[in-house]
Amino acid sequence: MHIPDGIMSPEVLAVGWVVALAIIALAVLKVNKKTDDKTVPLMAVLAAGIFVAQMLNFPIFGGTTGHLVGAALAVVLVGPWAGVMIITIILIIQCFAFGDGGLTVLGLNLTNMAIIGPFVAWGTLKLFRGRMEKTGVLAAAWASVFIASFACALELAASYQISGGAYGIEAAISMPAMLGYHAVIGIGEAIITAAIYFYLLRVAPDIIKTRTPAKGEAS
Amino acid sequence: MIDRKYLKAIAGIFVLFAIGLVFFFIFSAPYGDGLEKTMKEAGIEEGEPVYQAPLNYGEDYVTALIAGIVGFGLTIGMGYGFFKLTRKKEEIKETK
Repeated sequence: MHIPDGIMSPEVLAVGWVVALAIIALAVLKVNKKTDDKTVPLMAVLAAGIFVAQMLNFPIFGGTTGHLVGAALAVVLVGPWAGVMIITIILIIQCFAFGDGGLTVLGLNLTNMAIIGPFVAWGTLKLFRGRMEKTGVLAAAWASVFIASFACALELAASYQISGGAYGIEAAISMPAMLGYHAVIGIGEAIITAAIYFYLLRVAPDIIKTRTPAKGEAS
Repeated sequence: MIDRKYLKAIAGIFVLFAIGLVFFFIFSAPYGDGLEKTMKEAGIEEGEPVYQAPLNYGEDYVTALIAGIVGFGLTIGMGYGFFKLTRKKEEIKETK
């Protein structure tokens, strides 16, 4: 879902940068208040792990692939604001070191994957908190990809509309295609996220930030 | 000193993704992703990149593996540096 250069209108690019810079600046402040020396290595390893996981393009249907975004996984383990920063770091490295996603469009990629993804995941997890938490993780992972792809389709449609067709893709094509593919890609995201979540639930349950401790268990 | 629970989690994540990195190419498919497929269906192509990145993800198992290791290292370095730096600022504030 990394948008390349040259397909979005300047107006939509500008909105993406404004949103991304504002929210990420806020995330820096929020993370600054909560980060302690114990969590720093975990967050760094988690970021690097998600970077690697994003390299895996799993096949879906019709000669299409998807890859993990990792927003829900980050949120489950370190919360929404640190999740924003982790995905931001990954996207910056992908853009500047590997040319994955355009530089002019980095603001929109950050908005979709590093901001919308984590906060949709956080909101979904909140809905399931205290009951059906495992289902909540699956739902959060799926929703984070699906809603981020909806935002991307909306940006493509807005670019098309604003530029009179010079940029973007008309909504009649971008919406069904993006939502159709990402509804399935989201299932892959949910499976990978749940697999890692269940693994960590076994080896290090205390580390899972969104977990409600069992009765009698110290939180 | 890092808590035992954090050490276990870090080790768990590290092992999981290290194994994943080695095996990712077996499962990784060469087709375009959902956005690339949508662009193809709409008949639009990527514009010229305004910035030429120094690295790429490689085209065979060995180069992709090297790219993954380099990316893993870069991300750990940048992540650790960023979170450590923001933590240090907080400590400075507390000592004033």
